Amino acid sequence: MKFFLTTGRSIDQGVALEGQKLGRENVKACAICEFDKDDFAKLDCMIGTPVKVTTNFGEIIVYSQISEQGPHPSIIFIPMGPWANAVVDSETYGTGMPSYKGTEAEVEVVKSGRILTALEIIKSYK
Amino acid sequence: MKKIKNFEDVVCPFCGTLCDDLKIILEDNKIIEVDNACAIGTAKFFSSNVSEHRYTKPMMRNNGKLEEVTWDEALNKAAELLANAKRPLSYGWSSTECDAQRKAVELMEICGGVLDNTASVCHGPSLLAIQDVGCPTSTLGEYKNRADLVLFWGSNPVHAHPRHMSRYSDFIRGYFRVDGHLDRTIIVVDPRTTHTAQMADMHIRLNPGEDYELFNAIRALCRGVELDVKEVAGVPIKQIKELVEILKSCKFGVLFFGLGLTMTKGKHRNVDAGISLIRELNEHTKFNLTPMRGHYNVSGANIVFTWSTGYPYSIDFSKDYPRYNPGEFSAVDILKTNDFDVTLIVASDPASNFPKDAVINMLKKPLISVEPHKTPTSEMADIVLPPAIAGIECEGTAYRMDKVPIRMRKVKNAPEDCMADYEIIEKLIEKVKELKGE
Ligand code: SF4
Repeated sequence: MKFFLTTGRSIDQGVALEGQKLGRENVKACAICEFDKDDFAKLDCMIGTPVKVTTNFGEIIVYSQISEQGPHPSIIFIPMGPWANAVVDSETYGTGMPSYKGTEAEVEVVKSGRILTALEIIKSYK
Repeated sequence: MKKIKNFEDVVCPFCGTLCDDLKIILEDNKIIEVDNACAIGTAKFFSSNVSEHRYTKPMMRNNGKLEEVTWDEALNKAAELLANAKRPLSYGWSSTECDAQRKAVELMEICGGVLDNTASVCHGPSLLAIQDVGCPTSTLGEYKNRADLVLFWGSNPVHAHPRHMSRYSDFIRGYFRVDGHLDRTIIVVDPRTTHTAQMADMHIRLNPGEDYELFNAIRALCRGVELDVKEVAGVPIKQIKELVEILKSCKFGVLFFGLGLTMTKGKHRNVDAGISLIRELNEHTKFNLTPMRGHYNVSGANIVFTWSTGYPYSIDFSKDYPRYNPGEFSAVDILKTNDFDVTLIVASDPASNFPKDAVINMLKKPLISVEPHKTPTSEMADIVLPPAIAGIECEGTAYRMDKVPIRMRKVKNAPEDCMADYEIIEKLIEKVKELKGE
């Protein structure tokens, strides 16, 4: 299914920022993809099933969730962090600001696939 | 016997709301209670207690592993890397106090490096727009006392600035807003029905990435131009007209805008259109705007860098005088073009916050991290210099999102020999000068 990816702050992400960046707290807060309720029904899976989000800039596996901040049909939300940043467009168009919001994304449910921790993602870049 | 200490009116060094009414209880240099803060502010204070998440000693990479070293060893090596670099990049600086920011300018000037703060991936586009068209603005205190219309556009304070609405913009009683929430109209413009939108009197759910179009439609309708379409940015004309009437008829309005404008297509142009709308609304009523700044002292970083160099962020010193060019000297662009040879990251975690290709390049070259907690950036660094946490373990000045400077307090001692950020940078400056023979 095709979506419009937006990233941003969430209060859980903010709490996990403070001394919890390498731990499970950060994974729980940020390695998630929030769907509109009706969009999620079309995915035909249980809440928490891993999904692979693919864009022109990369792919990442995160836990699926129904958004508490809906409706927002055709928009998916991944809180800011290494998971979202694996798939956003780094082009700044001469402003210094990457395009963190508004990336076209494809989502598929994955039956198996490990959700990486923040450090595992960054280590894979070295 | 255990020593209990109470502190009142403590400032929270997390977000740009910079709440200054916290109560902290300390037991033998350990924070045991935080009152009045939101969940994030509370977590920040508790995170200062020594734990496995915090560095207490400087670290250096040896055979691929970070190992404890003495301060002298770590500072000497860091200074050597900076002194020998052709073009060091220094980034971060928004989650620390103003003295450290002042020292940052001095260090990068000596090194002929590039200096950027987190504004470049936050409200940098807002600064570009403000440089173009100005900014009718005021302080949060004025808004609290006067604003009867609060417009949150592309900002979600319930999550990003959790006490903003209770302290300044919605629930609080003000001098002319004696009934608090009941005396204000709250409007949210956002593609998602955010928790802030769920509490608002009106939610305009626009299509993502079409803020520019919507601003200009509102501007046209404000001027009495009829639009020959049924909807703009997915919002029915009828609802836009209703919004225009509310905007024009308020007594005192304020626009709080967030990254919904700066991170989407159009970036500074979106903010430019927003400011132009506010300017035009002043022909009908009183209207102001304030960007919802994220890091508690990102405003300070912009102010300190501006009074020292003339520019708020993305500053290059390679020609011995400061040059400013976001898109070229901004951290993400410098990293993407590989136009650097060492990075010095202070109070920030770009490995988590930057897009993948910028991070990949950052990790190819030596990396120095000044950071109290273990983060993906510090854990990948070659040198870690752990500081005292500003606003908790050392005092200093920070600028709130409305540019009001607030003096932050020290409530506890830093672990071991951890120094304040500015002391660490001061030592680096001394050593770099020595190595360069200055
Ligand atoms: S709203 Fe911001 S400044 Fe206030 S307590 Fe929460 S994090 Fe701290």
